[in-house]
Amino acid sequence: MALMDSTATPGAPARYAAFFNNATVRSVFYQVLTLACVVGLIGYLVANTIENMSQRGMSAGFDFLGVSAGFGIGFALVPYQEGDSYWRVFVVGIANTMLVAVVGIVLATLLGLVVGLARLSSNWVISNVARWYIEILRNTPLLLQIIAWYFGVFTLLPRPRDSLGWFGGFFLNNRGLYMPAPVPGDGFALTLLAVAAGLVGAVLFARRAQAIREATGRIVPTAAPVLGLALGLPLAVFFVTGAPLGWDNPQLRGFNFVGGLNIPPSFCALIIALSIYTSCFIAEIVRAGVQSVSHGQTEAARALGVPPGRTMRSIILPQALRVIIPPLISQYLNLTKNSSLAIAIGFPDLVSVWMHTSLNQSGRAIPIVAMTMGFYCLVSLAVSLLMNQYNRRILIKER
Amino acid sequence: MTAPAAATPPPIELIGLNKWFGSFHVLKDIDLRVREGERIVVCGPSGSGKSTLIRCINQLEKNQEGTVRIHGRAYGASARENDAIRRDIGMVFQSFNLFPHLTVLENCTFALTWVKQTPKREAEALAMEFLTRVRIPEQARKFPLQLSGGQQQRVAIARALCVRPRIMLFDEPTSSLDPEMINEVLDTMVELAQSGMTMVVVSHEMGFARKVADRVIFMDQGEIVEEAAPEAFFTAPQFDRTRLFLNQILHG
Amino acid sequence: MSDVMTPAGSAFEATPARRFTPKPARPAPASTLGLRGWIRQNMFSSAPNALVTLLGLWLVYVFVSAIVSWTLVNAVWEAASRRECLDQVGRGGACWPGVVAWIPNLIYGLYPKDQVWRINLAALVLVAWAIPLWLPRVRSKLAIGLSLVLLFPFFASYMFLGGEKGPVWSALIALGLAAFFWVMATSAAEIATGRSFGRLVVVALGAAGRSDAYRRRLHVAALLVLYVAALAVTASLSLSFVQTRLWGGLFLTVVISGFGIAFSLPAGIVLALGRRSRMPLISLLSTTFIELFRSVPLITILFMFNTMLPLFLPAGVEVNQLVRAIVAVCLFASAYMAEIIRGGLQAIPRGQYEAASAMGLGFWQATGLVIMPQALKIMIPNIVGNFIGLFKDTTLVSIVGLFDLLSMARAVGEDTRWLGLFLEPFFFITMIYFVVCFSMSQYSLNLENRLSAGQRR
Repeated sequence: MALMDSTATPGAPARYAAFFNNATVRSVFYQVLTLACVVGLIGYLVANTIENMSQRGMSAGFDFLGVSAGFGIGFALVPYQEGDSYWRVFVVGIANTMLVAVVGIVLATLLGLVVGLARLSSNWVISNVARWYIEILRNTPLLLQIIAWYFGVFTLLPRPRDSLGWFGGFFLNNRGLYMPAPVPGDGFALTLLAVAAGLVGAVLFARRAQAIREATGRIVPTAAPVLGLALGLPLAVFFVTGAPLGWDNPQLRGFNFVGGLNIPPSFCALIIALSIYTSCFIAEIVRAGVQSVSHGQTEAARALGVPPGRTMRSIILPQALRVIIPPLISQYLNLTKNSSLAIAIGFPDLVSVWMHTSLNQSGRAIPIVAMTMGFYCLVSLAVSLLMNQYNRRILIKER
Repeated sequence: MTAPAAATPPPIELIGLNKWFGSFHVLKDIDLRVREGERIVVCGPSGSGKSTLIRCINQLEKNQEGTVRIHGRAYGASARENDAIRRDIGMVFQSFNLFPHLTVLENCTFALTWVKQTPKREAEALAMEFLTRVRIPEQARKFPLQLSGGQQQRVAIARALCVRPRIMLFDEPTSSLDPEMINEVLDTMVELAQSGMTMVVVSHEMGFARKVADRVIFMDQGEIVEEAAPEAFFTAPQFDRTRLFLNQILHG
Repeated sequence: MSDVMTPAGSAFEATPARRFTPKPARPAPASTLGLRGWIRQNMFSSAPNALVTLLGLWLVYVFVSAIVSWTLVNAVWEAASRRECLDQVGRGGACWPGVVAWIPNLIYGLYPKDQVWRINLAALVLVAWAIPLWLPRVRSKLAIGLSLVLLFPFFASYMFLGGEKGPVWSALIALGLAAFFWVMATSAAEIATGRSFGRLVVVALGAAGRSDAYRRRLHVAALLVLYVAALAVTASLSLSFVQTRLWGGLFLTVVISGFGIAFSLPAGIVLALGRRSRMPLISLLSTTFIELFRSVPLITILFMFNTMLPLFLPAGVEVNQLVRAIVAVCLFASAYMAEIIRGGLQAIPRGQYEAASAMGLGFWQATGLVIMPQALKIMIPNIVGNFIGLFKDTTLVSIVGLFDLLSMARAVGEDTRWLGLFLEPFFFITMIYFVVCFSMSQYSLNLENRLSAGQRR
């Protein structure tokens, strides 16, 4: 660096110095140097890899994707049988990861919202209960929590014969959670239709209510009618058509349960740990978001005689959401990435079935690592593109 | 001056008001009665309780002792009733407190549509009328943070006026403005005063007080030290504390 | 406005002033004061509020009493196996003897018992090295901190690993040791006399009045003496070799996160500067690296290095598992650190850059002396947050077969004598993680408050 910065050397070296001090020249020089280093490093690694692979008789191609994988997967959202291809295994892994992510995100958001609002409560007891919930859970490793839930709770549950049971259809034991599986009857399609109609009706009603308000000023209460349309209508149709929905209850046969839906203990442990852990971070985001809206906003609305509920919905929430949503989405991404810890308790997510089992079976390290990382990169990229769009849209206009 | 008790109740009536922040006694036995159309300027050193006083008038701060009556109605029955009483009172804050995510026009129509249930078109017409009165109708579609401080404060005044209050409270409306913007806000307030609005203004703008006030109130350490018509107040203040204060702000 | 100004203040004095005597302040109504008032306002201000308070208190009671009765009241403290515990209290109480028996393993892993003193000694040195950073009278904090991050690892590595040491390795170890001697000497000197070690040597030799060059030579000579002493100590040290396979427990967790922390800060600074660079190629490369490592889970990086590192290196070069894990953790941590530092750099107003270049500072001087210190300072809370995350994330190395604290805790339940004993060791290590992370976060919160207090006005 000293060479580059020395400007005042007289004589012939001065020309070199001047040449080096030209910003463009220097910039090109550094970049070429960096490029050379990076290319050299990559070339070295690639050469080593090729040699190592040829020595061990490994191949880097994707041709193995069509080959039968030959191992079973304990839990698969999309149909999978032993003997399906590696490609199928990859798809099963992605589907399972997405399932964990979606269920985890929903639960973590609900829990985080409740805890965050509790944290904001003026009630000292409640806000401190929330505070210590957050402090304890976010200051211990997630992996420890997952393993503790799995080994400390779910595998210690009683055997199927001594299951904990609720309402005659829900059973919890060391094989997981068993619950009734819905079996739609003949007229059930009508109920589904009613759900769709109810949702459309609710949206139309809300729009109509707004139009009436704008035209006449009258505030039409929307909460009850919207709920009625969205929930009441399907329920009504359901019962009018004679409740055409059967339940397949799990039955204890011998040493195990038959029928019903079985959620494996690893899934339960993973979801519980992930959503509780993430809820701490979401709670802090919610708190920071609501606190970011200055108290003056509430006071101004109160001075105008606006009722508190309306102030919350139209003044506080829209402003808080702008602060909340970007970090919230990044927590969702974190949860998705953290779902890869499933491997520690044997839940077959992408990393577990693909980067671990398939890699060990097929030995195709390079394509498998590339595909796994590619999937996560793609998800992050897609989400960050959406986020940029959103941020541009909600930017509060300033001078 | 002594109106019969049976006559219309005064717009603002404070009786034996006491307020504490924690164990700190901010307002001590305040009694104040404001007549219809009266303009009052409240001044005093910082920490004297003047802001707390006017925030008690619309109950942004709750007093622990004493009664606040607005047009004869006392606060406290229910949150809904308190909101109803507040609708007669407009308030302008030191830091504007405009809603930054709504346009200037939406800021003005917000309370009209959600509280007074005014049709949108009517609300917008009314809002434009008030924006014209504060001389910024051309800014209606902009967002508050795109405006200068003085313009923002004028929007805040228009927003408060839109709900047709019978009383206006101003809490140091010019304290956070650059000097060249103070006058545009004061001019708006002078016009409002001339239209006969009942006003309580916390301010150190003595020129404004001279021009429009019917009464100037000087507060210190949570009490009303002295109240008088502006002429008497400025030329012959009774108390040593008032004289000290006036000397400081007029010659400091 | 001047037209309304009153005449001169003297006009007031025409009439005698009345004296204003403020009324004495009364105490607030009893219902809002004291403990009772506080409880009333914060817990029972309304009926629903009171109900929620009771619900919260009930929750706390249920939770705390369950924990206390399990960990203390019903717990078994003496037993030879889990069977005995279960016979005594069943599952109603904790079975601590298993954890107690495993404590050495939980802390040191499988490190040979007779060699454990080496870890303890290195830990002691680390603490002694770090303490001066918090002593107000010590002024050479920057040098102490830098030497801690850059030179302590050499000394510690030898203490942990032992075995043969060639001349280069010996020189580096001695460098670490000499730095420690210097830190001790200079902090003792500064605390006692307010002068640094070098100055003190100069004064002690009665050379205070001599020329600058002479004094500098004397200073260098003193440092050389320190180094030679350190070399002698190093040469006399002969520690047996302990394979990294035997490293484990809390010790391994600290080693991995220590490496991660020490590496991620400088690497993060370089990457952040690279990403902000105006040179497109450098910016592109840094951005790619950062975004790649940030968008994939740490476990995939650990797996990748586990399977790919042997392929990347020339045939015959063996890289042990610990090194693979440390490399993965370091790269992962630096990508996150880079984004934090970039955030700090973005928060520095343009005026600072302009002021620095107006003073004639070049890019590196401006960055190193003006911009970076500020950026690091405002980002301290986030940096500490990243360290906490790193410390928690080291648990993932248990998945690739290293025996960190978490794996050791799992191993308790797989010991035939303590078969199935999971909750107790998990509870124990949860406490360790919580105490470490929580105190770090409280410290950073404290620091943040002090910094923001300094910025206000």
